[in-house]
Amino acid sequence: MSERLESFVALSALLTGFSEVQLWGSGVAGEHLGVLDAVLAANIVSDLIDAFERLPADDARENAIATTILADLRLGPIARNLIILWYSGVWTELPAAWREAHGASPLDVTRTTSGAAYRAGLQWAVAGAHPPGAKHQGFGSWAFEPKRRRA
Amino acid sequence: MTDEAPFDAVIVGAGVAGALIAKRLSKAGLRVLLLEAGPATTRSFDGYAEHVERFYGATHKGPESPWPPAIGAPQPDTGDLRANNGYFIQRGPHLYGSSYTRVLGGSTMHWLGVSLRMLPEDFQMRTRYGVGRDWPIGYDDIAPYYDQAEYEIGVSADAAEQDYLGLKFSEGYDYPMRRIPPSYSDQFLASAVNGMDFQMGDESVKLQVRTYPAARNSMPRKSYRPVGAVDVQADGTQGDVYLGERCEGNTSCTPICPVQAKYNAGKSLAQADPTTLTILTQAVASKIHVDAVSGEVQGIEYQRYPDAGSANSATHVAKGRVYILAAHAIENAKLMLASALEGPRQQVGKTLMDHPTIYAWGLAPKPIGAFRGPQSSSGVEDLRGGAFRARHAAFRFDIGNDGWRASTGAPDTTVSQAVMKDNLFGSALLQHLEDTLPRQLRFSLAVEQLPDAANGISIDPRFLDAFGNPRPVIDYKIDDYTLAGMEAAFAAAQAVFGRAGVTDCSDPATGNWFPTASYQGRDFHYHGMGHFAGTHAMGGDPDVSVIDSDQRAWEHNNLFMVGSGSFPTLGTSNPTLTLAALALRTADRLIAGFGK
Repeated sequence: MSERLESFVALSALLTGFSEVQLWGSGVAGEHLGVLDAVLAANIVSDLIDAFERLPADDARENAIATTILADLRLGPIARNLIILWYSGVWTELPAAWREAHGASPLDVTRTTSGAAYRAGLQWAVAGAHPPGAKHQGFGSWAFEPKRRRA
Repeated sequence: MTDEAPFDAVIVGAGVAGALIAKRLSKAGLRVLLLEAGPATTRSFDGYAEHVERFYGATHKGPESPWPPAIGAPQPDTGDLRANNGYFIQRGPHLYGSSYTRVLGGSTMHWLGVSLRMLPEDFQMRTRYGVGRDWPIGYDDIAPYYDQAEYEIGVSADAAEQDYLGLKFSEGYDYPMRRIPPSYSDQFLASAVNGMDFQMGDESVKLQVRTYPAARNSMPRKSYRPVGAVDVQADGTQGDVYLGERCEGNTSCTPICPVQAKYNAGKSLAQADPTTLTILTQAVASKIHVDAVSGEVQGIEYQRYPDAGSANSATHVAKGRVYILAAHAIENAKLMLASALEGPRQQVGKTLMDHPTIYAWGLAPKPIGAFRGPQSSSGVEDLRGGAFRARHAAFRFDIGNDGWRASTGAPDTTVSQAVMKDNLFGSALLQHLEDTLPRQLRFSLAVEQLPDAANGISIDPRFLDAFGNPRPVIDYKIDDYTLAGMEAAFAAAQAVFGRAGVTDCSDPATGNWFPTASYQGRDFHYHGMGHFAGTHAMGGDPDVSVIDSDQRAWEHNNLFMVGSGSFPTLGTSNPTLTLAALALRTADRLIAGFGK
């Protein structure tokens, strides 16, 4: 695996609140990075990863990513889209002003990026549930009191 | 155009009604031809799996998402409703919010599986409440066929729990499978709500959360063996498949149960006698040929197309001794009208009904396990009947197990709201979602609609599909009787929320888009339940109906019209079980008739 993908997963972990191991385990890390590469100009994706690499390596990271990447007019919308991609398996069309400033792509439409991305959506795990139509929990499992899940 | 060898019966439509009749007639040794407009992709396990994959990848996971229409067999799509540019030509004043599926198995491919019986009083709305019209048969006439239908489609419930508003079961009878285990969410609500009084006008009604009868496989009673996934072999017989003999909690009944633990009409067809049943798929019935003097049907013209993407077809005529239209309430009426058969007093296509339904949604005071289990497993049925029906519509609650998915698009919208609007990320985002999603609760409040001659489906030569067949033109209005029922239903939901400590969040501005209907200055955002009914109603005489109580057309001695189009009134139960019972009753009448 490439260093670039490793950085992408570390960035994603910080953005989603899930651990890197969990994100690797989802099986869609490479696919999600591929979505960014397909929709966005190469320098935007590399700037996002570079900006992450420059963050302090300690507990200040969460605050730092908010003030640098998420607050950035160019990188913020990409980072927020990335969170939603991980949670829901959906790419969200970027705001019109962003497209105007940084370039539009025919792939920049709101869409489920793949069946695998849908099934891997973190939102189902957070809910203590499963994606509808997949990873069923078994006959009668729904009758039990839900257990709190810790990421 | 070529004529084909005659059959005893020609059936149009491989949905639940057509499949049950095809199974029963074929097993009685009668030669049956079944014409299905859509493709047969659901007949094999591999073909079905492709529909599941299509659902996974769909951006909008609506009822139609796994089931793309063939060019020659177009179908309505609720996604087209907002722009009103779909298969239906909708003339309003309200939008008809429901859809159906044209594929082998019909709309049972995407249905939820709710299999309630109608109440005894539902058959006598005119006599008892002075509204709507009476059925020509009563609960006692149909009850034996409810028993049979519950075994044919495989319904899970405990008869003892279904003891309300006069529902009776025959001595010693119980459903083929034990009830679907109630969800944790159901248990939470039941403990808070059961026994509470709700005031409906001058009646005080005690509410109870009950698991509803569902055509989803559960623990069998006695020797009953649940029927799992369909995988028809080359010789027409069903393969050895164990998958789907229990509900696994895929939370995806609508639009597709990935293991087929939920009934679909393909299961009945897989149980038919393949030596006497001929199934032709991709065969769109387009015209009924009738003898001008006797009124007898002489043949049904159909258009056979080679593949779903084809705009070309070849026309044939199917001939039999009797003909059974089982194509759907809309398609049955459309086919009749396209053949210039308008029925007695031009009643074909009239009195179209549905269950206009509103959502109420809220946050429970603690995690209730939302997004797990079948999409719903319980309801509140106590407001389906009562003297108030003289004034306004009855209704039922469906209690969701799938959070706010149906009403707001959660969890996706919960996530995007948190990320885009609230700027949450990382551990704070995770915490917020963990605190919120498992507490989401949703009710669907499905409201009765009465027959109104102004509501209906008609055709217009200006509006044709790719094969030159008419597209349905829909006139539809939700009247004050139903809207007043919606108001009462919303009040009942609020009372239940209050009792259970659920924080109401049903703000339409935060929900999905739905059509609106106004009542006394208030907008109700409603959706359809897919419960098309009334377009060829049965009755005691041809002045007030299209078919008799055996579902035989008054004007065509060898023509039967089956499905929920036959319902004079709709009551509050989901129509599939009742239309299945009526179909089995008609099949028995046909077999007896052939024996003479």
